[in-house]
Amino acid sequence: MMQKELKQGIKDALPIVLGYLPLGMAFGVLAKEAGLSVIQATMMSVLCFTGAGQYITIGLIQAGGAIITIFVANVLVNIRYLLFSTSTVPYLKGHVPPLIASLLSYGLTDETYAVAMNHYQDHPATSAYMAGLNLTSHLGWIGGSLLGAVLGSFITNTDQFGLGFALPAMYTCLLIFMIKRRADIWVAVSAAVICLVIGYLAPSTMSNLSNIIFATLIAATLGVIINGQH
Amino acid sequence: MDNTNIWLIIIGVSIISLSPRILPVALLSRFEFPAIIEEWLSFVAPAVLAGLTAVSVLAPEGVIDISINNIYIWAFLPTVIAAVKTKNLFVTLLAGIAAMACLYNFVGI
Repeated sequence: MMQKELKQGIKDALPIVLGYLPLGMAFGVLAKEAGLSVIQATMMSVLCFTGAGQYITIGLIQAGGAIITIFVANVLVNIRYLLFSTSTVPYLKGHVPPLIASLLSYGLTDETYAVAMNHYQDHPATSAYMAGLNLTSHLGWIGGSLLGAVLGSFITNTDQFGLGFALPAMYTCLLIFMIKRRADIWVAVSAAVICLVIGYLAPSTMSNLSNIIFATLIAATLGVIINGQH
Repeated sequence: MDNTNIWLIIIGVSIISLSPRILPVALLSRFEFPAIIEEWLSFVAPAVLAGLTAVSVLAPEGVIDISINNIYIWAFLPTVIAAVKTKNLFVTLLAGIAAMACLYNFVGI
């Protein structure tokens, strides 16, 4: 049973790995260019596991930004995970022991969140599934970073293989799978529109994805109101 | 930037990026949420995914680009069809990646 759950988690992580390898490689190349050693670049992916946060950090290191600026930028980029993480609690409670759930939640990313929440719609959460999904995804990210840092600019352009669309395709597909209730459609459409309007009016929100936080707060509230009318 | 500072940054960013993921699960798991909060939270995932989809397809370079030159929009269409028809993530992903590879190499916009 546990082994089956672990296998399922690893299997569900493979599409994520497909997207993380090129992104991790790009990070490794940039980190090396910014003056990090191979060990530092790889350890950053081991310890941080924050795609956007790591890119911004490298950019700021290269631009000679202050350490405090780097930390503030990372708070802004990662704050959305408070919301993501909180929304997983009802699914984990009673299924995964709190200590294990907390520890494995280190591996919560946009992608593992999307895949896990889809899985939890019709399967109870388990420690083994969570471990398989999060650790495999993390290994993909670490492996990509290491490859990028070692091979540097020898890497050919991965865009030509269409891998740049791996994560957008995954979001699209999981969004479609996730829409079950009538209210979900309205939540999804309003979240997308609000997200773009905020991103248009305040382009700086696009770089830390804070537009997604505001859009989610409004759209989820709308969902409760629509759902309550039935 | 010297080595000590780089390690300091790596450890700082690690704490900053991991705590918002770990702390809610660690602190909130012992509480029972009121039904309305639980319902509200059930809409977070569809909202987040819609936001991520919109941004990644309509602003692939970080700037909103709703035009026929944005090949991500063209690759989005077969991806939606594959997702609805096959109900299979892996097949959908391959369809999206193949569509993007074709657009990137052959359309050249």
